[in-house]
Amino acid sequence: MVTAATAPTPTAMDARRLGQIERRDTLAARNSCLAPGEDIAVRIRRWDEATRQAAYQDFKVPYQKWMRVLDVLNWIAENEATDLAYRWFCGSKMCGTCAVRINGREVLACWEAAEPVMTIEPLRNLPVIRDLVVDRAPYEKKIASFEPWIERREPYPSFPEPLNHKQMKDASKALDCISCMCCYSTCPVIGLGNLTDFAGPAPLVQLAQTALDPRNDPDKIKRSLALTGIFHCVSCYKCEEVCPASIPIVGRIIEPLKAKAVLLNPGMAKHSSALRDIVAARGWVEPSALVLRVQGLRVLARMPRAIRLLVRGKINPLKTLFGIRTAAAEAARRILRTGVAK
Amino acid sequence: MKFAYYPGCSARSTCAELNAATHLVAAKLGLELLQLESATCTGARELRAIDPPGFLTLNVRILALAESHGLPLMTICNTCTLNVLDAHAAFASDRELAAAINVKLAEEGLHYSGRTRISHFLWVLHENIGEQRLRELVVNPLTNMTIAAFYGCHITRPPSQYGFVDSRNNIALEKLAEVLGCQPIDYSGRNECCGFHTAAHDERVAIKLTGQHIQAAKTGGAQAMVTPCPLCHTILDGFQREIEKDVGHKLGMPILHLPQLVGLALGLSPDELNVDRHMVPVGALKAYAANAPKEPHR
Amino acid sequence: MKMITTDVAIVGGGAAGCYAALNLHRNGVQSLIVCKGLVGKSGASLFAGNLVLSGHLLGNTDDNARNTAEFLIKYHNQFLIDQNWARRCGQWIENIYYPELEEAGLYFRRDDAGQVVTSPGKIRSVAANVQGNSGVPFMDLRRKQVIKAGIPRFEETVATALLRKLDGTVGGVFCLDIMTGETIVVAARAVILATGYSDRLHTRSTGTREMSADGIALAWRVGATLINLEMQWWHTNDIAHPPSWQRMQVYPNPMLGSEKSARMINAAGEEFFNQQQDDPLAFGPYTVQLKALAKQVRAGKARYDGGYYAGFDHCDPAEVDAYTTYGKAYRQLGLHFPEQLVETAVTSHYRQGGIDVDTETMRSSVPGLYVAGGLAGHSNGLIALATYDGKVVAEGVMRDLSTLAAAPLVGQDVELESSRLDELRNSSGEGPAPIKVKERVRALMWNKVGVEKSEAGMRSALDEIEQIRVDLLPGMRMANRGKLANYEWLDAIDVVNMIDTCELIIHSSLERKESRGPFFRQDYPLTDNENWLVANVLKKSGNGVRFERRKYDLPFFRPDFVTKDNLEVVW
Repeated sequence: MVTAATAPTPTAMDARRLGQIERRDTLAARNSCLAPGEDIAVRIRRWDEATRQAAYQDFKVPYQKWMRVLDVLNWIAENEATDLAYRWFCGSKMCGTCAVRINGREVLACWEAAEPVMTIEPLRNLPVIRDLVVDRAPYEKKIASFEPWIERREPYPSFPEPLNHKQMKDASKALDCISCMCCYSTCPVIGLGNLTDFAGPAPLVQLAQTALDPRNDPDKIKRSLALTGIFHCVSCYKCEEVCPASIPIVGRIIEPLKAKAVLLNPGMAKHSSALRDIVAARGWVEPSALVLRVQGLRVLARMPRAIRLLVRGKINPLKTLFGIRTAAAEAARRILRTGVAK
Repeated sequence: MKFAYYPGCSARSTCAELNAATHLVAAKLGLELLQLESATCTGARELRAIDPPGFLTLNVRILALAESHGLPLMTICNTCTLNVLDAHAAFASDRELAAAINVKLAEEGLHYSGRTRISHFLWVLHENIGEQRLRELVVNPLTNMTIAAFYGCHITRPPSQYGFVDSRNNIALEKLAEVLGCQPIDYSGRNECCGFHTAAHDERVAIKLTGQHIQAAKTGGAQAMVTPCPLCHTILDGFQREIEKDVGHKLGMPILHLPQLVGLALGLSPDELNVDRHMVPVGALKAYAANAPKEPHR
Repeated sequence: MKMITTDVAIVGGGAAGCYAALNLHRNGVQSLIVCKGLVGKSGASLFAGNLVLSGHLLGNTDDNARNTAEFLIKYHNQFLIDQNWARRCGQWIENIYYPELEEAGLYFRRDDAGQVVTSPGKIRSVAANVQGNSGVPFMDLRRKQVIKAGIPRFEETVATALLRKLDGTVGGVFCLDIMTGETIVVAARAVILATGYSDRLHTRSTGTREMSADGIALAWRVGATLINLEMQWWHTNDIAHPPSWQRMQVYPNPMLGSEKSARMINAAGEEFFNQQQDDPLAFGPYTVQLKALAKQVRAGKARYDGGYYAGFDHCDPAEVDAYTTYGKAYRQLGLHFPEQLVETAVTSHYRQGGIDVDTETMRSSVPGLYVAGGLAGHSNGLIALATYDGKVVAEGVMRDLSTLAAAPLVGQDVELESSRLDELRNSSGEGPAPIKVKERVRALMWNKVGVEKSEAGMRSALDEIEQIRVDLLPGMRMANRGKLANYEWLDAIDVVNMIDTCELIIHSSLERKESRGPFFRQDYPLTDNENWLVANVLKKSGNGVRFERRKYDLPFFRPDFVTKDNLEVVW
């Protein structure tokens, strides 16, 4: 960890985490905020094809030690609302079928501690069948479209085949995925529906299991990547936040897949390559330079904004068009052109 | 207090007002800033995906530059911050990688020992200045200014860096706003995404996402939004015209950079803080300026 | 009602069912999978923690090979197993199973240098990706293989009855799609039941939500012979709180890449079990642990429902985190790992017994009906065994296919089943909800047919079951009569299967007058190899049951005593 060797701090607080203690955000706090017997106030979204009306129903549930959201649902289904529809199978974070939202946040019901006041709703971005049960079919269909299995270029040698964990590091993280769809529900780009062809975090993690596997044929990977719309990921990290398996979806799945796309599907990755080239040439990025490079003549359609930006002094075409030799540029040229031996 | 200061790319161009405001406010706060002139871009999101070793080296270089001056590093952009944080973590956890990077840095006489403390300006305000001192320095409390804080993703996620189970529990900006006298509102867009990082090649996502957040802020009664990230500012402010077209009605929501909000409370004028460089007029907020004629409380 | 025709209907989407489907597909035989859960995401197969190395795989010595075989015969099955079948199975695992899985893409965890990571010791194992989680990528691979082969899957669809053809052979399955409420009749030339080892008949059970011993009940209703229903495992180290974590195990197995395993502490803070010291084969067979716990319970230092603890406080957290998932549950509860332990309790686990089969063909006693995997009564334990059954049953069916004609089903049976289900859905009694009846059944099993059984307790259980049948079942009250995702309806269907099967289990338990391995009878505490090294065979007789005994061949391993106090028998 970084030592505060050179920064005197008047308080011992860690501002990066302001709110964690006040709002009882830690796991220790979440598991100790209720005493057995105390009431949990629950509100559940009920929804039925017959009525096609959403209604919220309230319950009071007695807390039991270390209760999970699933235990709350089970208690309600056994004692108050026997017709409540919710999905679960294993109750122990293996099957990934019990994901719901509590207070707007995606969780795995069997894994997440119950909160004292909870509104429980189904996952987003998927059709609701009834109450908290969503239709997994759109998600499954996307995965199937990637043909998520390896195709070997060379025949399989024998058991055990030559392979080491360094080669499988990212694919191995992807293999922790239990298809709970929490990330798919929280992804804001998926939330925009058909606006883009972004496959979504969960399908990409599923794809990564084979696409980041060195035994897989690059042509196969290329074909799958073309279907992913992967450059629509906005890197908001909401997926990482909700993943019950703690998979670093952005850093270890989406970014490596993007890197593959730059090599295998360069047409998809023009702006990434453009940014790299700009940084390598100038040391820093002037945003309008990037837009110009990426959008080319289309930028003329943006002339009204360009003019407004120009008037406000926010862009300087001279600066954009003529590179300036600076120390930063020298450094970037040297580092990015020659790279670091790993 | 002295910091090595890394302004990033946006603050030197499209959001130059942010850089200027930061310098002014730092002076008022008694912070000495040593701008790292030869620091490169941290690589935004693209570089770390397609050239991880290059990305790491450029970022560790920034940390090494700070270390060479024996100073902690202050940033004013969320994405820059997360990039250097991630590079530092990678450096600290992988000795082979660290050695390789230092070989590269040695070519220009630099070396990183892993000791640079990284602080976004927002954290500097809380940790290095502190609430008590800030209250003393606030000569123009922004009483009755209802403000919607827009955090920007990279200062509050991922949990592997920031530790929140639920990043909505991050209250750093609201706490600060209260110290400055504002009334922060709760609204759905607080910790959500502006979509900047795909705007270069497809701005529709940014327009739609940010539109939702500005509308929520407006419905919540906010007179302005404040953000600690110039990239978010670029969409919130720079694209607001397109957003208005998309939602079909005027929004007119002024967007302040964090140092500008602080600056107003410290008695700096809107002109000094270059709010007129913004795309969305900040006009109504000028009533909160120190030298503005005070109206009776509404 | 949808009508579908195929060659082979497979009920169950776990290791055995999927592998059977894939084998049939490879040979051009059409099949479909009916799965009450989601293929690859429900059932016991998902929970394979690590994968045992048999024979001479990956540097296994002769001793390792022998230990693995002994482990299977003695510790997992208490000699109630066809040893010749076990040998064939072991050879197949050594020669085909592992290479085939790896070729298909399963990742057997390596280290950075490229060595497959194994657990050291008398018996060795590997993991798929990470220990404690091997079943997830394993079954996900099967799922994707099934998708790739284009084998139709009917998921979240429950088989409610086996249907006969006019010639009396089993030739179909009546199914209900739980999500839509639509019924499906599958007509096939053969039916494979592969619904697995687990059930959910006790208050604490490792079976997943949908399990209600359907496989046993359905087979029994068409007259199949059953065996050894009383023989079942118990997990000793499952987390006590919260209730939904009752199947979350503090795995006792040796950790990959480590010399250590979890240890168990009693209420007085004394360590009473650590696999590396207390388990002869040091591989965590459940029975050895259970017996260690039983001694603590009798000494008043633990209970079967809690009061004892398990954890890794003697380990370096890095050691545990390197290749396993074991620390995650502790941290999720806000505990300090590995310093803090969790309270654990017993949970009813795999049913070793089940449907009696011919282990060369997997035929049941009913023509047209085949069984594979945990549901069959021929062995217990390990995902590899269930997979092997999938191969054998596919071959068995294919060999018989020419004699199994496609023929019309008995129409009346279809109608009767359809009415029965509708009646359940429209139950308008004033009695308890089906879920309440389910919990009643589970409670009576937990209290009266639990780890330690006695004649008095079991007779009382039979009485209570009769009472439930007569008083509670007919008057069950359904709050929801709709068809979409009606879990109440499913509970009503399930509870009938549960009651029928529990009754059979109790009869079988009363019949076996000895204790053997995990089967403890307070009134018959000795293991009796003279009279009871037999399959306890259960057959339908009029409205009741009758029993037969069938001796086991002992070609490779034999017990070294005639009678002995079960708690003193190592296995």
